Amino acid sequence: MYRVVKETGQKVSGYAVIWCPDFRLQAVVRRVNWREEPVALVDDGQRQSLVLARNVAAAREGVDVGMKTVQALARCSGLRVERPSASGELAAGRMLLEAALGWVPGIEETEAGLLTLDLSTQVEEEWLESGRRTRGRLYDLGFEVVVGIGETPSLARIAALAAWQRGGSLWHLHRESRLEMLDGLPLTVAETGEELNERLRLWGIETLGAFARLSREAVASRLGEEGIELWLRLTGRLRRPLKLARLEQLFEEHHDFDYEVCDRESLLFVVNRFIENLSVRVERTGRAVIAVHLLLSYVDGACYAKRLALPEPLLDETVLFRLVSGHVETLEMKAAVEAVRLRFEPSDPVASQRQLFGAGLRNRFQFEETMKRLRRLVGADRVGAIREVDSHQPGAFQLVPLPAEIEEAKEHSGPPVTGLVLRRYAARIRARVWVRDGRPVQVDSPRASGVVVNISGPWRNEGVWWHRGREWERNEWDVELMKRGLFRLVECQGEWEVEGYYE
Amino acid sequence: MQNTGKVTPEKVVALQALRQQLGQELGQKITSGAELLEEQEGRESRWASGREDWDKRLGGGWARGQLTELVAPEVSSGSGLVMSQLLAQARRERRYAMLLDVGQGFSLETLPADDLETLLWVGCGSAKEAIEALDVASRDENFFLFLIDLRDSDPSDWRSVRASQWYRVLGQLRQRESVAILFARQAVTSVAKQRLELKQQFSWESLEGEREVLKASVQLERSQVQLVERERGRLRGMHGMGGAHGKSDEVLAVG
Repeated sequence: MYRVVKETGQKVSGYAVIWCPDFRLQAVVRRVNWREEPVALVDDGQRQSLVLARNVAAAREGVDVGMKTVQALARCSGLRVERPSASGELAAGRMLLEAALGWVPGIEETEAGLLTLDLSTQVEEEWLESGRRTRGRLYDLGFEVVVGIGETPSLARIAALAAWQRGGSLWHLHRESRLEMLDGLPLTVAETGEELNERLRLWGIETLGAFARLSREAVASRLGEEGIELWLRLTGRLRRPLKLARLEQLFEEHHDFDYEVCDRESLLFVVNRFIENLSVRVERTGRAVIAVHLLLSYVDGACYAKRLALPEPLLDETVLFRLVSGHVETLEMKAAVEAVRLRFEPSDPVASQRQLFGAGLRNRFQFEETMKRLRRLVGADRVGAIREVDSHQPGAFQLVPLPAEIEEAKEHSGPPVTGLVLRRYAARIRARVWVRDGRPVQVDSPRASGVVVNISGPWRNEGVWWHRGREWERNEWDVELMKRGLFRLVECQGEWEVEGYYE
Repeated sequence: MQNTGKVTPEKVVALQALRQQLGQELGQKITSGAELLEEQEGRESRWASGREDWDKRLGGGWARGQLTELVAPEVSSGSGLVMSQLLAQARRERRYAMLLDVGQGFSLETLPADDLETLLWVGCGSAKEAIEALDVASRDENFFLFLIDLRDSDPSDWRSVRASQWYRVLGQLRQRESVAILFARQAVTSVAKQRLELKQQFSWESLEGEREVLKASVQLERSQVQLVERERGRLRGMHGMGGAHGKSDEVLAVG
């Protein structure tokens, strides 16, 4: 079968790592937006204040990690000293997670500022573009991240570290050229211990590629557990399931007012923004909202909490805002509000009333889950609604998403459909064909053999003649083989094959 | 009469006479197990095929909540026509269908584009993969019709499917009342409640014939695949069954 999408012939598993270097610092730098100014994150918890991290601008001025803060300030008088911010890191972590959710739903929070994504639900051709888009989105939010793609979580991590070391932003460690790409990477990229690195240097092994070329037995016998673990990582044999992040934390927004809010308009302004953001996040997971939790904190220490339930799961921003604003209107504001928290309770968007008259997906969340699992099972390029493409190439088709709504079937117009249904053989069935007067008279092949009793053709077919090396042409014949059935024969550059059969 | 364990015509005649006699004595109609089964089948929910002639032969339509096997032993026996009718009917009723295509030989060029509007194609590398995919998909309430195409699959391939997996799928089909049709060259699993066989072979002229006319000549017949062997195999814990031909289902039911 010819495919417009790349025929891989096997399941494509892939992972991406989104890494935000110096995450604790970036959480602060992003918040105050001092990208160009020298900033250092210091730890005041010790007897002597030390630099935990610094940005590129500070490094240019000679500020280094582990340095005493006073020394750093002496080297760079304009250095802005910041303390770690737990709330800032929490918010930054959510932003990373949210951006990653726009790529694929399977995400693991491997460590602070490092996410591992399961790309098996996406077609391989889209990985790089999605990686660039995600990185761009995070850059707009003030984050400097690198993206690494590889066939296992470990290789994706190595790719991300390689991207960072080489000053790039995205690195794809291709399956086919993995060893060649690893040849260009120093041992430090694999985050191995100094002792192992030193031993390998003594062996004359300077790159990860050179190490991966060693035999497994040699590594196991001479380098022990650490060596074999590295070897398995580099050869793509070390696989592990991801611990998927709980996305529920994304469905919550919180805001501490810098001033006391006494009027409902200001409160609703913030609520409206929350609803817009949260709706987008819930939609990306293929779910809807069944209830909204509202929590108001007053300056007098009192709190007000309410769960506003919806009659059926939905994701209409207007309706959701009306629900919350309608409730806020009824509240008696005894004291000024100092903080507001809004949380969406997600649910499956099950069959609703419109299904009485329309037709389509009854349970979109379940459908997304099914698609995800099917893609993981058979490969992302083997699941979809099948559509014709504008090509003369026999059997060419494209896969598109299944429509969520089903329109009424159109009345068939035009000439009636004729003939049996063609089915192609998966593999090429080469045939030996006896020809008389330019017409096949007997066929011998592993799937169909016999004397040709009826024949029509040839139908000449050709394409891509404008592209040297990719042009093709073929002659098709429909044949009836005695007592065997109806088949399609194809002759292409003197070679014959049984393309399929009519059923 | 000596009991040899074999169903002979004499035994059948004697059985019928005994039933008649019992019925007269008790003043009630005596129903055999086979008749009860048939009645139950008739009561089961059916999905109309969209063709009256087929529905008559299918006992009201395709069985819902069951797996139906469609055995097409020869090439050009019309199984493609049956698939085309199933897709067209699902489209007409605005239902989602899923094709688990083992071998990935599905060709859309001989099918009306509109009939493919609600079809989700899943290309599978093996029968085992297809059944795993069916196991996943049959839990989804969005899909109503499942077509499993094993026509180009090797028997050794589908024999590797565990019996428990077939039964799990069947349980899910029952729960959702969805329709599942398995296309194969021979009998595949004892889980299939209904097995139909396409015995004819379409002639050369059918390549030019109007498809609706061709559909009318499709001979959907109950398969004569031996149930005894299948059941024995299942009890022995075999993983799927080959198509041993012999006594019909109906004969066994009487015996």
